[in-house]
Amino acid sequence: MRRVKSGVSLLVVVLLLSLFSVVALAEDVHITILNSKGEIQAQLEEMAAYYSSITPGVTVEVIAAPVGQSPFERAMALYASGNAPALTMLDPGDVLLFKDRAAALNNEKWVADVIDGGLDLVTAEDGRILGFPVTVEGYGFIYNKPVVEAALGGTLDPETINTRDALQKLFEAIEASGKGALVISPEDWSLGAHFFSLAYSTQSSDFADIKAFQEAMKRGEANLAANAQVNGLLDTFDLMKKFNLDKADPLASTYDRGSQLIGEGEVGIWFQGNWAWPQVKEFDSAGGQFGFLPVPISNNPDDLGNTQIPVGVTKYFILDGEQNSPAQQQAAKDFLNWLVYDPEGQKRLVVDASIIPAFKNITITPEDPLAASIMEYVQKGRTITFVLNLPADHWAEVGASMQKYLADYADRDTLLAEVEAYWRGL
Amino acid sequence: MLAAEKRFVDKLKTYLVFAGPTTLVFITVIILPFLFGIYLTLTSWDGISKAYTFVGLANYAQVIRDSAYWASFLRTVKYVFFTVLIVNSLGFALAYALTGNKVLGQNLLRTGFFVPNLIGGIILGLVWRFIFSNVLVYLGRTFGISFFSYSWLANPNKALWTLIIVSVWQYSGYMMIIFIAGLSNIPHELVEAATIDGANGFQRLRHIVLPLMVPSFAVTVFLTIQRGFMVYDVNLALTDGGPFKTTQLISMHVYEKAFLAQQYGVGQAQAFLLFLLVAAISLLQVYFTKKLEVEM
Repeated sequence: MRRVKSGVSLLVVVLLLSLFSVVALAEDVHITILNSKGEIQAQLEEMAAYYSSITPGVTVEVIAAPVGQSPFERAMALYASGNAPALTMLDPGDVLLFKDRAAALNNEKWVADVIDGGLDLVTAEDGRILGFPVTVEGYGFIYNKPVVEAALGGTLDPETINTRDALQKLFEAIEASGKGALVISPEDWSLGAHFFSLAYSTQSSDFADIKAFQEAMKRGEANLAANAQVNGLLDTFDLMKKFNLDKADPLASTYDRGSQLIGEGEVGIWFQGNWAWPQVKEFDSAGGQFGFLPVPISNNPDDLGNTQIPVGVTKYFILDGEQNSPAQQQAAKDFLNWLVYDPEGQKRLVVDASIIPAFKNITITPEDPLAASIMEYVQKGRTITFVLNLPADHWAEVGASMQKYLADYADRDTLLAEVEAYWRGL
Repeated sequence: MLAAEKRFVDKLKTYLVFAGPTTLVFITVIILPFLFGIYLTLTSWDGISKAYTFVGLANYAQVIRDSAYWASFLRTVKYVFFTVLIVNSLGFALAYALTGNKVLGQNLLRTGFFVPNLIGGIILGLVWRFIFSNVLVYLGRTFGISFFSYSWLANPNKALWTLIIVSVWQYSGYMMIIFIAGLSNIPHELVEAATIDGANGFQRLRHIVLPLMVPSFAVTVFLTIQRGFMVYDVNLALTDGGPFKTTQLISMHVYEKAFLAQQYGVGQAQAFLLFLLVAAISLLQVYFTKKLEVEM
């Protein structure tokens, strides 16, 4: 009889303990973040560990989308398996595809502090705001200041490179100084999503006009061969091809090689964006003196794009509203607020991770020279639209056509016919 | 009647005890996803939305009209043709040379030729990428060999051959092992009898060894065809489809349609059509190699 009793009391103790642990589990909120910006994975992990340590009961974990895979696909797999992350970092064009599953963020405080137009691409037709802008990025010609200034024999005023002829003179001067003028990295994403997109960006300073241009292309009504901006851009590309350090075998060049050449000062100019800083930094021989020049598309300094560079919000977080509990969703919202309003959160986002913030209230700036150069263009108002509403496979398809043009396997007519056919086929 | 029924129940019981769990797993992870996949080909699902719009056979019509799909398929056929041909002849040649103690260090050589098969496709692709774009180019420029002076990976006419070379390197050793097993099963007395009858080495190979090796060839050709059509990892790591999609094999095309272009239904339809084509080719191959087999 005694044995039975002690057995019963043991059972009671075990049950009570398990009750406690259930309570403890309920208090400990675990959220995951899917990161698709590979270059800041380490910084995000540190940020998450720090936030978990200062926030009792909340654990934040960062998982990475494989490099080279589209974040959309990783997110899709996680949703299908019922393991949706609380926050998923997506490209702007993919955000609204998740409209059935993402939670609305309209009531968040930071919505009022987002830079102008920063939420346009992530606002659903019914008015729900589905994205938190993570980072602003921009691109153009990165220049290595010591190399360029040695070639010019004086200081470089970036504002004087505002026509194609001025660019050509700069290329010639750099080549005359014994360095390579520039290197073109032939990656399809770079040529398709960034370089050719300048043809859309320079159509108008009003995003609505750019969208109208895209719609016209879809209907097959846009005649690219007769479009001044498209031809101007390709004329500039021809000039770049002529001075390309790797012109003998243009498709064999790589992004990694480009970052090394510009960092070590073997070339003066490289077409890329501020995301390249972590790689350029590895080879930095210029003491961090780098900046951006616009890609001129004509010989008229007043034409749109000749003195401006494309800048836009390139990554958004969506908050899962389907598979995460209300407590998890709240924890994720708190984390986002911490990033925007807490001085430590701001510092970790902007300084440690070199992110240009998309919030007006954040006054600190990243310490890397490329981001600083972008900020300077933003402050002077010299920006054009970074066209980010392109169809998901635009970079791969148009990028492939641009590669053909770069390596002279296609002439301009073929290139433009392929681009037109791509848009018509959507 | 009752006895027959009882016998059936008994058989069913035995079946369920031994094969029940496997059948359940097979149905849930192979059959159901396959059927669901076929259902998805009839919708315009984008991969994430909750709406499955039924579009009938429109996806298939789009695949039939998609010239990029067929170009990629033909490219894959070309790749498969050359890999199957070279892998099997090289694998057989290696196996023939490395049986019967003809060369010194036979086992070491066998191991050496088999090793590439143990390396994963992604690693292999990256290693060979370095060889083709750096090592060969460096050698070509140093010694003035124009054939190697420019990266093969950047040349649309040569890039497919890099894929074929790497696949041959990867699979020849594996097929060699299968051929060695086949060769050691050929009865010694047959070869000896032929030698006594005055057949020379080539005649023995042509009339005794090769006919008896048909079952091995049936296996190796099937394996190389099937792997050739399904290749993705080497394709991704070595060329990533480039330059400008001239080496994009069919698996990669299907993948990009479904996940990059976000047309899951169309991608799934392409995959299903690919399944039918590969199944037909494999069945034909098995049928014809069976006909070649000889009775001993």
